[in-house]
Amino acid sequence: MTDLNGMNCAQFADVAAELALGVLTGRERAEALAHLDHCDACREHVRQLTATGEGLVGLLPAKEPPPGFESRVMERLGLETPALRVAHHHRRTARRSGGTTRPFGKMSSGTRRILAAAAVVTALAGGVAGGWGLNAATSTSTSAQPALSTATLLSAGRENVGEVFIYNGDPRWMYMTVDMDSGNGTVTCQLISTDGRVTTVGSFRLANGYGSWGSPSWVGDGTPVGARLVSANGTVLASASFPAAAAS
Amino acid sequence: MGSTAESLPDETLLAGLGAGDADLAIAFVRRFQRVVFGVALAVTRDPITAEDVAQQAFEQAWRHAQVYDSRRGTVRAWLTTIAHNLAIDVLRARTSAPVDPAELPALLTAITDTPERLAVARDSAAGLRRALTQLPATQARAVAMAGIYGMTARQIAVTEGIPLGTAKTRIRDGMLKLRAAFLPEDVGDD
Repeated sequence: MTDLNGMNCAQFADVAAELALGVLTGRERAEALAHLDHCDACREHVRQLTATGEGLVGLLPAKEPPPGFESRVMERLGLETPALRVAHHHRRTARRSGGTTRPFGKMSSGTRRILAAAAVVTALAGGVAGGWGLNAATSTSTSAQPALSTATLLSAGRENVGEVFIYNGDPRWMYMTVDMDSGNGTVTCQLISTDGRVTTVGSFRLANGYGSWGSPSWVGDGTPVGARLVSANGTVLASASFPAAAAS
Repeated sequence: MGSTAESLPDETLLAGLGAGDADLAIAFVRRFQRVVFGVALAVTRDPITAEDVAQQAFEQAWRHAQVYDSRRGTVRAWLTTIAHNLAIDVLRARTSAPVDPAELPALLTAITDTPERLAVARDSAAGLRRALTQLPATQARAVAMAGIYGMTARQIAVTEGIPLGTAKTRIRDGMLKLRAAFLPEDVGDD
């Protein structure tokens, strides 16, 4: 394939590695990017080289950062756990400039509770890498939190194939886990509001039937009453219904 | 959440970081701080600069947690790329050479013969490491200079005292061999 500016696939191949590593500059870079606009094969070639470059960086040896690193990161983010707050109370003085950090504030226990529920699920999964085993027991851990709702994902055959966690507080939060017998590819998570409107909130990839996905700020009008998992071709793989009281 | 948070998947901790949950955020930092600092230190070769880069990396992860896409790679790879890009930016802002050529052998040794990493290596990483050791030294140096230190072919040519075309060829040939080892199932007919 030859681009309007003259760069063909062979010429592109000569600079693909440099492009993938982010070291191609100037006109060559512009021409290479123009070529990529309409050449799927070369785009895939660069994707592979980019992944290889990331793998190369991933070989760099891990090193222990200086003592106190994690607390300095947390302070930079305006986030501190109670333990860190106690440990560093005496050190937090004028060193901290008021306008440079972005205080976020700790979230309510709701988010933590959702993730605690997710952790329960993880524990029940027995350490299955990349996926989540699911168990109805998770729903009991959330009964005292009205803003939190969990629902079991049921397949068309009414089999338990996953779980959905929704936190309808401030900020909103959702997490979906899937554990099907098989399946690879992209699936989409959709929420269903009380008026029946379906909102797509995100997608993720299943690997051998396993997958999980979360969004710290799902968007949707109204109160979700259900969720569903949809395949790339639009087939509804599974659906879930939230308890009305918990979802409100 | 304490030890519970530490058992959560990377994606969950990242989402918790993005949502501003302090417990999940610190679990995230603890899980990845050695990796992030290691990348920053390897590239900048200065502990103070490396800490600043590492802190920036976690801040970027916090700000952009919502755009992380698991389809494009692991959280670890995503975060490592953030740290690496930030470290490269620091190098490029310096007036001095990105790397002393005399330091390259030590770097290549570090990334090809690290017992801890070998012990936990995935197959693809182990394959990549092996392939790196099997590259001609000139190609390995060119790949390291471009891939680790973000040096352009022109900078490599000057540093190595070789023609620009030779530097570009070394980068290309070296990376193609590494790709064949890292992604053997994806390698086609080129």
